[in-house]
Amino acid sequence: MTIEVQANLSSVQIAETIREAILEAIPGAEIEVSPGGIGHFEIRVEAGVFEGLGRVKQQQLVYGAIAGLLSGSNPPVHAIDKLDCIVP
Amino acid sequence: MTSLEDPIREKLDQLVQSHSVLLFMKGNRQAPQCGFSARVISILDNYLDDYATVDVLSDGEVREGIKLYSSWPTIPQLYVNGEFIGGCDIITEMADGGELFGTFGVERTPSIVPEIHIGDDTAEALLQASAQNGGPDQYLHLSVSKDWQTSLSVAARSAMDVEVQSNGVTLMVDPFSTDRANGITIELVETAEGRGFKVDNPNAPTLGEMSVQELKTLLESGDDFEFIDVRTPSEFETARIDGAVLFDETEYARLSALPKQTKIVFICHHGPRGVNAGQQFTDQGFTNLHNVTGGIDAWSLTVDPEIPRY
Repeated sequence: MTIEVQANLSSVQIAETIREAILEAIPGAEIEVSPGGIGHFEIRVEAGVFEGLGRVKQQQLVYGAIAGLLSGSNPPVHAIDKLDCIVP
Repeated sequence: MTSLEDPIREKLDQLVQSHSVLLFMKGNRQAPQCGFSARVISILDNYLDDYATVDVLSDGEVREGIKLYSSWPTIPQLYVNGEFIGGCDIITEMADGGELFGTFGVERTPSIVPEIHIGDDTAEALLQASAQNGGPDQYLHLSVSKDWQTSLSVAARSAMDVEVQSNGVTLMVDPFSTDRANGITIELVETAEGRGFKVDNPNAPTLGEMSVQELKTLLESGDDFEFIDVRTPSEFETARIDGAVLFDETEYARLSALPKQTKIVFICHHGPRGVNAGQQFTDQGFTNLHNVTGGIDAWSLTVDPEIPRY
C-alpha cells in the first residue's frame, strides 16, 4: 500500500516536471498532464504555435521539449500513452 | 542527456540521407523484435520490395540518439527522402487513409472484389464471433499477407477496404489482400483446442515436386539454392549427395530467416519426410519449395549408382 502511495506521489511530481518542460518550450501553452500507470502519461497541449502545422510537427514540438525525461537507461517517463495537440 | 552530440547527429544525418526509405526499428525485416515494428514492416511490405532498416537494439547510441534527432520518443520511426514521417500509429493511420501511396510514390491499382466461399455453419459462427468481439461500426476483416498468412479480425472499417458479401456475412478486405484472397474458402473446424476457422487458399504456393533428373540438372547448373537433407544423421552418414546439408534445429532457424522466395529443395529416403519438412516452410510463407520425388533412393537407382542403397 505504501509503495503505491509513493508511486502516485512521484507520478504527480513527474507530471508537473513534464508540464514545466513543455511550458518552457511552448510559452503560453495550456497543458494538462495526466498520470496513468507507473511511468505512463497522457498529455493535452493547446497552443497557438500548432496553427498550420501537421500532426507530426505538432507532436515533435512537445516530444522535443520532454525528450530528456524519456531518454537514458531508466527514464522517469516510460511512455506517453496519448498526446493531443490542439489549436486554440 | 537532452542534446545530441555532433558525431551521433552526423551519423544519423548520413543514415537518413543515404536511403530513400529507412525504418529505425527493433530487430530486422525478417524478424521484428516488437509488435509496433512488426506492424510497420507488414505495412511497408505491401508497398515496397526494397527498403532499408536500422536495428536500434544493436546500437545503443542510435537507439537513444534517434529519439532526440527526430524529437520522437518511440521506435519504430520512418524516414522517407530524409524526412521524418512518423511512428507506428501515424503510419497505420496513413495506410488506412490511403496516404502512403503518395508518400512512397506508388501507384494505386484498382482492387478486384474477391470471391470468398463460406458455408452455412461457418457463416453463422463468423457472425457470432464478430458480434461477440465488436460493437457498432466494427467489421470482420480478412487479410492475406504477402507471405500467405491469413488472418481474421474485428476492427473499424478503413477507407481502403473492399467490401465482400458472402452467405450473409460482410467481410472487409484490405486492397493488398484482394488478389491473394480471391477464391478462398473459410470453413469452421473442430480441433482438439476447440472450434476454429480454417482457410483454404487456392492461390497459396505449395510444395513442388522435383524429379531426381531435375535435381541433377539443378546441381550441375551451379545456381544458388538450399539443398536440405531431412533424414537422420546415421542415414546421412550411410549415403548422401554432395552439397546436401543435414536438417536440424540450427538449419531450421537459419532457413526460416531467409527471404521467402529462396529456393529450397528437400530430400529424404523415399519422399514422405521431405513433404513433412517442406510443409513447415509452406506454412511460413515460403514460395519456392521443392521435394525430391522418390528421395535419395531414386537418385541411387537412376542417377548415381555409386550412392549406396539401404
